Amino acid sequence: MNGHSNLLNWILWMPMIGVLVVLLLPRNKEGVIRYTALINSIITFALSIVLYMKFDPTTPGMQEYFKVLHPWISQFNINYSLGVDGISLPMIVLTSLLCVLCVLCSWTISKSVKAYFALFLFLQSTVFGVFMSLDFFLFYVYWEVMLIPMFFLIGIWGGENREYAAVKFFLYTFFGSVLMLVGMVALYFVSADNPSIGQNTFDILALSGGKFTDLSLRIFGVDISFAKFFFVMMFIGFAIKVPVFPFHTWLPHAHVQAPTAISVILAGVLLKMGTYGFLRIAFPIFPQASVYFADAIAWLGLINVVYGALCAMAQTDVKKLIAYSSVSHMGFVMLGLAAMTVQGMNGAVLQMFNHGTSTAMMFLLVGILYERSHHRWIVRPDGTKGYGGLYTQLPKYSIVFIIAMFASMGLPGLSGFISEALIFLGIYQKYTTITVIALLGLLIGAAYLLWMFKRMFFGEVLDDCKSYTDMNAREIFYMSPLIIAVIVFGIYPSPILDVMKVSVGNLVSLLAKFN
Amino acid sequence: MALNYLASISRYVPELLSVVIMVGLIFIEACYDREEKKKPFFYLAAFFGLTFVFVNLAADLSKPATMIFTGSMTIDPFSTLSKMLMVLGTMGAIYLSKESKDIYDNLKSEFAIMAVGVMIGGMILASANNLLMVYIGIETLSILSYALASFKKNEERSSEAGLKYSLYGGISSGIMLFGMSHIFGVFGSIQFADIIAGLNGLSTAQLAVLLPSFIMFFAGIGYKIACVPFHMWAPDVYEGSPLPVTTFFSIVPKVAGLAILLRVTMTFFGQEGALQVTWVGALSVISALTMTVGNVSAIGQRSVKRMLAYSSISHAGMMMMGVVVINELGTRSILFYAITYLFMTLVAFYVTSFVADKYGNDHFERFSGLIKRYPLMAIMMTVVMFSLAGMPPLSGFVAKFNILGALLSEKHYMLALIAVLNSVVSLYYYMKIIRLMVLKDVESMEPIIGFGVMNQSIILVLTVPVLALGLFWSGIMRLTEGASIFLGP
Repeated sequence: MNGHSNLLNWILWMPMIGVLVVLLLPRNKEGVIRYTALINSIITFALSIVLYMKFDPTTPGMQEYFKVLHPWISQFNINYSLGVDGISLPMIVLTSLLCVLCVLCSWTISKSVKAYFALFLFLQSTVFGVFMSLDFFLFYVYWEVMLIPMFFLIGIWGGENREYAAVKFFLYTFFGSVLMLVGMVALYFVSADNPSIGQNTFDILALSGGKFTDLSLRIFGVDISFAKFFFVMMFIGFAIKVPVFPFHTWLPHAHVQAPTAISVILAGVLLKMGTYGFLRIAFPIFPQASVYFADAIAWLGLINVVYGALCAMAQTDVKKLIAYSSVSHMGFVMLGLAAMTVQGMNGAVLQMFNHGTSTAMMFLLVGILYERSHHRWIVRPDGTKGYGGLYTQLPKYSIVFIIAMFASMGLPGLSGFISEALIFLGIYQKYTTITVIALLGLLIGAAYLLWMFKRMFFGEVLDDCKSYTDMNAREIFYMSPLIIAVIVFGIYPSPILDVMKVSVGNLVSLLAKFN
Repeated sequence: MALNYLASISRYVPELLSVVIMVGLIFIEACYDREEKKKPFFYLAAFFGLTFVFVNLAADLSKPATMIFTGSMTIDPFSTLSKMLMVLGTMGAIYLSKESKDIYDNLKSEFAIMAVGVMIGGMILASANNLLMVYIGIETLSILSYALASFKKNEERSSEAGLKYSLYGGISSGIMLFGMSHIFGVFGSIQFADIIAGLNGLSTAQLAVLLPSFIMFFAGIGYKIACVPFHMWAPDVYEGSPLPVTTFFSIVPKVAGLAILLRVTMTFFGQEGALQVTWVGALSVISALTMTVGNVSAIGQRSVKRMLAYSSISHAGMMMMGVVVINELGTRSILFYAITYLFMTLVAFYVTSFVADKYGNDHFERFSGLIKRYPLMAIMMTVVMFSLAGMPPLSGFVAKFNILGALLSEKHYMLALIAVLNSVVSLYYYMKIIRLMVLKDVESMEPIIGFGVMNQSIILVLTVPVLALGLFWSGIMRLTEGASIFLGP
């Protein structure tokens, strides 16, 4: 395709236009504000679909047609540079889709509506920024700025313990990202010494390709491999976001306290930023170190899978259960990444997308239920049941819930199955033991979901539950795209697999060079 | 090339002007009646005069660097830019003192006069090019500061602050003088240029003997910057002094101290060798400690003023890291940091001051629910707090990024890590204010008198650079790039 397109700029800045419009509207026109946000997010989604249609799946790497490049700070060779490839495209589409649904599910928010939607659209724009940036500095700026709206969205509109959750989330992520910052600046200064780059640069593509394998650095008189040292730094930065096992403790708090729409964005999109960071930055820039640490990543991924599932099983709060199931499912993504094979990587990226849709469904469903019951206990702290017999009371809701649950469990025919199968195909070639234990994790996954379902949906209808009304039209409307997505991509995943195949293959072959 | 006396004076106009302003202000003050509270002409004269000095300095920025008064002072873009920052800081503090209730009405004009005096000391220090000028600069700066610290005459804490400040100050300048006299004894000259020439001829053993005197020399400077281990006076002085004085102390003496530290480091330790290694090693440890101690002490504070004071110690530590690298990038990053720090500190102290005036204390809880009453002020404060912690896309981040860049360009990986981890710690206590302002419910809806239209607009104007310099910092980078240190012809 010839010519040039500013489509990425439009997608990135469209939500910011929305922020401006919302800010200019008077505070009491809540309906207008809601519709503005909705229309804005729908336009953004439409633009991302246009992007998908125009995307050429056969070109490896960044697509020239969509590239945007403007100099920003010439002294540091920092550019405003955007691009899209097969790995970021599914994430961009996922983000814009989920944001439409989140605006719809935030319809019932009544506290400071104007500020809420302004912050929400701001958040959306920063997330796009992370997925589009080709300049490390720009990436970092978006990565950090994203925390500010998130902090307020959790802190103001969250549950009872919202402040603690917001602060913990903020500090944790900030801690990880400053380590990444050191790595980023260090890379900038060593890049000029590299003959194949020749100048100080933050350009992710120029830095990629394993150009820093021979460097070493000196700390307290000890020589350490530059690549390994900063791979670990960046690993911590991204791992906190994913979250990988020892760094996961912020997640249950943030997810449980956040309002529904924000939980959806958090689980559906923000967690993927961590794994996206591996795919875009850590792996391409330090391929040798990635291969070196692959075993460790695989084991951490495995801990995530099993530990997350066991934690989920122990929860009595349904939202916390879903939150821990995210830990477990992101573990599969880590396993797929650690495999560094074509199937594993493809599976990982597909799982990023599929987990985005299935977990978003789960969180939305929990949110719908919460709006009726105002609690989330499967079993209350005093030992009595929180829900019972929902199946008889809420038939439509139950059917949607079953679809979401099976999708997240990885039942064949639904989306989760394909990505998990690919991941297992990939990982089995390298780590047999881990595969076997991870399969066990899958089993626990099925167990806690079914057990939760049994406790909530079957049995006697509790008196409390008799007043609950079934899903209304708005709720069915915003659930339906996700239902379609999990079913369609469960049977026919090619629309996503095809666009990412070439880009992922590129990365795998780069890693293979160092294997 | 050293200019002759008459020519020297032409480059010395800003300092002379400041002296004229100071004396003029004393006269104007004397013309007012004792009971007169407002003194409009006094402030008009002060701001007009200082603006004039600022413009004068700005015009000086493009002129070539030169030595004046037979080489005892250097006028280079670096010193000029530092002086501009000091003038701005002084103006900011004087305006705050005019509005603040923390300072007695009848002492407000005295504050302005003394502040200009301290500023003159700082200006001398920023240009000092021989040991004597360093000493004169530091003493001018200090003696007036002792008086400022004990400004709340009726309060014990303030007198204590003044006493402590002068005792510590006296001891540290004594130590510094001792170190200087030793240096003079070895080289037979107080001129920096002669000392550098002498340094090159010394053997390693001789240098090792000389090093303690440099460390003693450093004590005097370190005391002004309040870096560990010379920071003991800082908390009490910051706490005991009235808020405008604290604001002033956390800007002007710090900028002056950093300017001279940078100049001394660049001139004496610019060449590689044993001396440089030791000096850099000492400075690395001191800067890392300063940062960490400042930050860790800030966490537990209940008073916002104390928190800001401690955090200013840690910011000084951060700026010192730019000295460690001894290169252009370091100089430029310190200047950038100082510019952004000036605006951030002013906004933070302004807001704190007006809130404290309302309630009589500045505990964190006083900020609760500020966003419901004064949304604009709460947003500005939030911006500044995030910026102080180093969140992009605000200027505080860019400043930190520059320091990090300087550190990593010289491969100081450990220092860089310490610096960023410290910013995580600082985020914790800055966020405490944000959390209270935005997430908590409001205590009372009574209006805060300080937040009039005028003051709100001033705070808004001061916040604009914090936002703008985070996104468009190319221009400022060019400015600071030009402002390199003149090491002699």
